[in-house]
Amino acid sequence: MSHASIAPATSAASAATTPARPFLELRGIHKRFGGVHALRGVGFTIRPGEAYHLLGENGCGKSTVIKIMSGAHAPDEGEIILEGTSHRSLTAIQSLSAGIETVYQDLSLLPNLTVAENVALSEQLVAHGGRLARLFDRARLRETAATALKAVGLPADRAFLSTVVSDLPLAQRQLIAIARAIATRAKMVIMDEPTTSLTRREVDNLITVVERLRSEGVAVLFVTHKLDECYRIGGHAIVFRDGQCVAQGPLADYTKQQLAELMTGRRIDAERYRTGTAGTEELIAVRGLSRPPYLRDVSFTVHRGEIVGITGLADSGRNELAMAIAGVMPAVDGSIAVEGRVERIRHPAQAIRLGIGYVPEDRLAEGLFLDKSILENEIALVVRQLANAFGIVDQAKGRALADTLSQDMRLNTRNLDLPVGALSGGNQQRVLIGRWLSIRPKLLVLHGPTVGVDVGSKDTIYRVIQLLAEQGMGLVIVSDDLPELLQNCDRILVMNGGRIVAEHDARAADEDLLYRAMLAAKPASAAQTRPAVATESRP
Amino acid sequence: MSATHLHDSAAAPAGRPNAFMALVRRRPEIITFALLLAICVAVSLINPAFLQPSSLVDIGRASVVMGLFALGVFIILAAGGIDVSFTAIAAFTMYSLTLLVKNHWPDAPIALVLVAAVAGGALLGVVNGLLVHHLKVPSLIVTIGTQYLFRGILLAFIGTVWIMSLPPNMGAFGRLPLVQFDAADGRTITLPFYFLVLPAAALGTWWMLNRTLMGRAIFAVGGNANVAERLGYSLRTIHIFLFAYAGGLAGLAGIIHTCANRQSNPFDLVGSEINVIAAVVLGGARITGGTGSVLGTLLGVLLVVVVNSVLVMVGIPSTWQRVVVGSFILLAAAFFVTAQKKS
Repeated sequence: MSHASIAPATSAASAATTPARPFLELRGIHKRFGGVHALRGVGFTIRPGEAYHLLGENGCGKSTVIKIMSGAHAPDEGEIILEGTSHRSLTAIQSLSAGIETVYQDLSLLPNLTVAENVALSEQLVAHGGRLARLFDRARLRETAATALKAVGLPADRAFLSTVVSDLPLAQRQLIAIARAIATRAKMVIMDEPTTSLTRREVDNLITVVERLRSEGVAVLFVTHKLDECYRIGGHAIVFRDGQCVAQGPLADYTKQQLAELMTGRRIDAERYRTGTAGTEELIAVRGLSRPPYLRDVSFTVHRGEIVGITGLADSGRNELAMAIAGVMPAVDGSIAVEGRVERIRHPAQAIRLGIGYVPEDRLAEGLFLDKSILENEIALVVRQLANAFGIVDQAKGRALADTLSQDMRLNTRNLDLPVGALSGGNQQRVLIGRWLSIRPKLLVLHGPTVGVDVGSKDTIYRVIQLLAEQGMGLVIVSDDLPELLQNCDRILVMNGGRIVAEHDARAADEDLLYRAMLAAKPASAAQTRPAVATESRP
Repeated sequence: MSATHLHDSAAAPAGRPNAFMALVRRRPEIITFALLLAICVAVSLINPAFLQPSSLVDIGRASVVMGLFALGVFIILAAGGIDVSFTAIAAFTMYSLTLLVKNHWPDAPIALVLVAAVAGGALLGVVNGLLVHHLKVPSLIVTIGTQYLFRGILLAFIGTVWIMSLPPNMGAFGRLPLVQFDAADGRTITLPFYFLVLPAAALGTWWMLNRTLMGRAIFAVGGNANVAERLGYSLRTIHIFLFAYAGGLAGLAGIIHTCANRQSNPFDLVGSEINVIAAVVLGGARITGGTGSVLGTLLGVLLVVVVNSVLVMVGIPSTWQRVVVGSFILLAAAFFVTAQKKS
């Protein structure tokens, strides 16, 4: 069953270090959901104080194995050896009592409770073995919460402790979820894509936290798509593909390329995707776009067939710029000219009429109807054009259109009636981009196009982006994924404090250059939070 | 608004109105209290008779049964569920218990009767809790079902005849005074002893919600049940406890209703659910769960009781009570929603 054909020197490396007694060991774990064989005999060992990276594409069984370790699922076969004791399965309280803490991708915070309760209530629950007929100790709650919050670099004063979590920006919620994991005497912390909503500075902070945990003998298991970050953290790789563990060993033994190949089972070209060249005809001219304090006098142009990247820290104004162009959060001053036609965009519908498409960052909240079919999602923008004089939608025409779009976007299913919620993150994103193609936009603004998308889907999305540019569409990619911008764009604009502070030719730039521009003349404290941006109107 | 957003107090960027909105969002019962105050002031200006002790005692007496119901509805709402079967539980418990005591142990001590009412109500509540948990059906549907079921069993198998004369101890409990005095017009005004049950139950509920792990677990489930389960909260325990607690309160409300009216009518109570849910929502508990307070619930009950009993005093026909309560609910709801958007 060993697929570790490319795995070099696994045994040699593990023999080199004298291993501590394993904290947790999984052996031959199988899990089936109906007809789906999600885990096919996976096994790995977690030792105290080590860092592990569980890598794999969406649907490879990563989340299932996490749920088995955290006690949410019972395996069908196999053995869980926790601190020397063998178990068939774990309950949530068993797992928590043993010191296995999980920071879920959705953060699993309770939005209506205070920061202190979110961080430290679990500690009391676990201390009482899950029994609820116990007194709730407020003083201890505050004390535990304050210690944990300080450890992740959040304020620990009374006002912050009693703030309701739904009032906080996403990046802080992420840190609160981590604070909860370390509020108890954790022995192993599982982090499911913890950096998705963090800026680079916050990731640095997280890495410091992880270092400290490890020095205290806590094992940390990361689940991630971001290979760059794995190397910054170091430790061991555990690679899953199709419910099997295809490789494990020290991260240093693998190149990024090898890991990507192990995850996907095919060759991934990590080089530049950008093949075409930008046209010379000016397509979009943004002039003096302002919305203080987010945007200050932003001007730039996009040519036909050009791909422009925009980056910056979370509060640099990059997000607001994307939303201003799309009319989601209109600018208060300045104009946008599309093919010479100057307009002030005040509403998303206006942007759409001008031929500007916008793929939002949060595809679940702002874009997709998860319980509706691929068909319905794809034709959502053109439903009026598909309707006849009586307002009845021409189903055949709609289906044909959706079929074309799905093929253009290389969806991995031909069943257009499948609900979008059943698709992987990468395929969902493709449905969303496909929807915008239905209006044949002149400019497509992609906001974080591969957030939470696996390596294989990223590859497809990048290829589609290049194809669109070749067809003469102008593209703007707003992202904090610097390799993504370097691989895909012609030019990269860096924002800082609501202004464009640097412009680089993507061929000549590198990550350090961009990162320096992002941080230049930046007051240190202001990078901490992400501005609470409300989506004021939607189409 | 980026760096300052760390602190909630600093989150409202400009001045008073936003600070007020933020306060309303944190403590929506302020609006309930303001409405209550406005009505009381308006009514006492038009008809000073309102401020007499006798009308206050009337309001207090009228709040007990609705208040007990409301506390039960509130904790279920706080956990993200809803219960419409509590009136049927109350009717079932009060009528069967009265019948039982009358036929088999007429001299049963009142304390035992009250405990039996709580236990009987809680037992029926457990049925709700088990069904909600194991059928995985929304609690609204389950409790609509059990409302019919409990009431049907009561009327079909236990009886439909009014009990006009209560066992002596129960009758005496209904008349037992807490405070008694003579009003200016010579009438004797009595605040009954059973009034104390409401503040006691409110205090107990407040304590349970704020000082026990169960209480925090209830709000946790109201915030997000899936997440709470993942964090190790036992949903089964919480569901059963919740509905048993609300059922116990309903049983208690039922028996007090009987003692206070000195008769037991099996057709009573059912039909007043919406009134109670309205009071709880007016008290600031969101129908989507996870929020609200005991104080707000009591204020909401007071608001509804005052509107029901006081409008007559200023010459507004009783048929208009519904219009007023309805307007208040819409007004308060609109206000809460605006407050949420602003902050």
